[in-house]
Amino acid sequence: MADESCRICGQPALPSGMKERVIRIAEEKGIVDASSLLLCRNCKLKSFSHKLVGGDLRKVPRAKLVPHRRTERLEPVKQDSRLGTTVYKSECFSCNQGCDAVVHVKDGRVVRVEGDASSHVTKGILCSKGLASPEHSNHRQRILYPLKRSGKRGEGRWERISWDEGLDTIVRRLNETEEKYGKDGILLATGTSRGWLLPFYRFANAYGVQYTAPGTAQCALPRFTGSTLVGGTRFLENPDYAHTRCMLVWGANPTSTFPAKGRGMMEAWIRGAKLIVVDPMLTETSSKADLWLQLRPGTDAALALGMLNVIIEEGLYDQTFVEQWCHGFEGLKKRAAEFPLEKVSEITWVAKEQILEAARLYARVKPSCITIVVAIEQNADSLSTCRAIAMLAAITGNIDVPGGNLIQMPVPVGLWLKADLALNNILTEEQHERRLGSRKYPLLSGKHSVSFPPSAFNYDAWKAMLTGKPYPIRAMYSQGSNMVLAYANSKMVLEAIQGLDFFACVDFYHNETNRWADVILPAATWMERDFVTCSDQVSPDSAHLQQKTVQVGESCSDVTILNELAKRFGFADRMFTTDESFMDFLLQPAEMNFKDFKRKGVIRLPWEYKKYEKNGFATPTGKVQLFDPKLESLGFDPFPGYVEPAESPISTPELSGEYPLIITTGGRVPVFRHAEFRNIAILREIVPELTIFLHPETAGRYGIEDKDWIVVESPRGSVEGIADLTPGIDPRVVQVASHWPGKSNVNLIMDNEKCAPIVGSAQLRCQLCRIRKRE
Amino acid sequence: MKMDQKFLVVDLDACVRCYSCEIACRQENALSLVTQSRWCRVQTISPRKVGGELHLDFVPVMCLQCEDPMCAKFCSVEAISKKEDGRVLVDEETCIGCQQCIAGCPYGAMYFNEVTRKAGKCDLCSSRVDSGIEPSCVQHCIGGALRYVWGTEVEELAQGRHSVQVGRTYYLSSKWKLSISGQLNQSPPRERHA
Repeated sequence: MADESCRICGQPALPSGMKERVIRIAEEKGIVDASSLLLCRNCKLKSFSHKLVGGDLRKVPRAKLVPHRRTERLEPVKQDSRLGTTVYKSECFSCNQGCDAVVHVKDGRVVRVEGDASSHVTKGILCSKGLASPEHSNHRQRILYPLKRSGKRGEGRWERISWDEGLDTIVRRLNETEEKYGKDGILLATGTSRGWLLPFYRFANAYGVQYTAPGTAQCALPRFTGSTLVGGTRFLENPDYAHTRCMLVWGANPTSTFPAKGRGMMEAWIRGAKLIVVDPMLTETSSKADLWLQLRPGTDAALALGMLNVIIEEGLYDQTFVEQWCHGFEGLKKRAAEFPLEKVSEITWVAKEQILEAARLYARVKPSCITIVVAIEQNADSLSTCRAIAMLAAITGNIDVPGGNLIQMPVPVGLWLKADLALNNILTEEQHERRLGSRKYPLLSGKHSVSFPPSAFNYDAWKAMLTGKPYPIRAMYSQGSNMVLAYANSKMVLEAIQGLDFFACVDFYHNETNRWADVILPAATWMERDFVTCSDQVSPDSAHLQQKTVQVGESCSDVTILNELAKRFGFADRMFTTDESFMDFLLQPAEMNFKDFKRKGVIRLPWEYKKYEKNGFATPTGKVQLFDPKLESLGFDPFPGYVEPAESPISTPELSGEYPLIITTGGRVPVFRHAEFRNIAILREIVPELTIFLHPETAGRYGIEDKDWIVVESPRGSVEGIADLTPGIDPRVVQVASHWPGKSNVNLIMDNEKCAPIVGSAQLRCQLCRIRKRE
Repeated sequence: MKMDQKFLVVDLDACVRCYSCEIACRQENALSLVTQSRWCRVQTISPRKVGGELHLDFVPVMCLQCEDPMCAKFCSVEAISKKEDGRVLVDEETCIGCQQCIAGCPYGAMYFNEVTRKAGKCDLCSSRVDSGIEPSCVQHCIGGALRYVWGTEVEELAQGRHSVQVGRTYYLSSKWKLSISGQLNQSPPRERHA
């Protein structure tokens, strides 16, 4: 009814007949202006918040008082009398980081998940995904039983089978493939994982079959490798926010993607620590920055080298630390000198003054810490980028000092000793040679891989499935990976999967990838299994407990599934009889078993700084390696350098004529994790569709208005989403979020062939595209 | 300022639009999607250029616990009342679901729960607070923007910054000279400027 519609937007605002009543009551009560009541809710909320903030900018010093966080005594299991629930201390794995959480259970169901107020890591916070976990555990679309395909492949018809039938089928079909094509005929795949990477690697190595994962080349491997080559550990993962005075946040938005870090960062910010943010977009984090460097996507290495040059030239580096602990400083100095301000500014689009100011601020304000996440791993030379940024921390003496970037403590839990426990040592020379990508990308797929056991380069794997070259891959077993959305060039990935003889998946829900499976096994979520977690990314000094709280359907932990497969393949001795025996194994160095740990709930070491002073850095030289001997011996540049993205207005001007805009993908929203949780209704309500960010000027040129459906195209295909016009992005750049399903899957248009050297990451942050309004 | 009472402080500087407050609220108050009730909402002020630089701001909006609540004035059965401790509460037993209060709230903070068929809104997590636990949105706020504190601490937090008090809620900013002039039913609105 027009009468009851919103005075501003025209949407339905009031129930029928309400308008007259509102006006009458307003008159009776003597309310002079009732017009603000005749709005819909959205317009009321909008009008209040806009009026409140207004536009009168008058900056004053920000708050100094850090919030008191709720604290509680640690109790692994307790009763909550207010809610009538049993409460289990656990570790949220809505993403792969692990935030302490408490799980409330009533009548065999998870009814509530909250942050754990006894946690020294999270101080009681939890993100929206974690808080929505009950909806995940109880979701009506969960796969509850093992399933086998009953119709044609891809038809989506399934038949319930027993665990024995599911596991036996996988083993039989993989054995058949092996008889025909050898071990090379099989590929294992994993996604980001939820804590079970170690048993997965161990399984793959014991089985003698290669694996691939987007969570290596595309994420984690380049930056872990970068800081490990430089400093022997993944020290860039641990900014010491509690003691820092300056934060350099590089291509990261931790409040949306890394809650525990986001909390630490914001508390430091509230305290008054300086914030420098490198990001092509105005985000939640960059909008708080004291200094925001809005760079051209993919040019991070040049910016880092430019900053190194300023710091070295102006003598702002820590001379004592450099002399005592750095190897190859003179060489780095020479390399950095190739990146003067003028040139860096031209490459990166960042003003000279800003580069200068950022370098000075980061080097002068002590202590400073660096925050990095995935963005810097998806450009033209991701390893150089990650190394150059690690070197910033090194030469300024900010490694393992209070307020700098910390080296993980030797927490006595097996996970920490990953490399040995993954059985990398049983891999043969021949296996290393035959692994796809080992020649071209030695630190991803070769025996020299650091941080992760060597894995197959994914582009070569799809190629092998599609063409049989260099050898056919005919069967795949995938654990927790929605590959069709997670890898660049989805069309290629999908075709490769469709052509397989056999495909088995372990997952929570049906999705675009396991639709093509022959067998699906139901995985237990983090609320439904036991685990010991120990992540250097969030808690470098502690190990935490994850407890099974409920059983959902016949779902089963990923560790159990791997153990059961190993039994049937005949290498049970390499794996574990039960989940508990695996936990006991992990806890051996702590001299306790899982039962003890369940009573204890956490293992925490007292913190020690400057651990390198005892045994040096865990590198071949025992020092920070600005010059890398390993890279040199493999025939690569031993110093970080800059290469132009494979597709860019500079490297491919003709392509850029047809596809004039730079597309950067992968910007995250807080309510989803990669391809997950778009089926959780209360999260999806917040971000219902794919958002494509572009500058109003750019939109104007193509006749696009805010909230229009638009199409983004590349030579590989097209993707559709809703335009969000923002002056917070360069007019030459379009930002498209990743991991949306169907026509909104940006990976349909991304290239996966022209990858970063040495580590093989797809250049997801810097390719070319064009846009148009959807007809 | 009532020093012996607790206030919800919303520090706009520190809001990072993580939506933890929204989901924490829905969980604590059993507000599934079908209830169509989102008692806590984070509003985005789209990026804009002011004073030569770009700004992106977020405003969490929930019931402000007004001093003289409009929702109560519009209630047809006197189900809504302002309590001694400052909270504005809806008595579900009395509520007949006429929805006049929803129209009557100028902030859009009152909801009609499609499951219970009653009015509902933020009650500052009464059940938690009565058991000595802070509101769920406050505990889970990643940025540290939401605080539930005594009047004395509000003074300390607001010191030297822009602030606006609406009912039992304090909005703070170090950037914007906050204002609620023109909003209904603040008697008198307290605006303080640094």
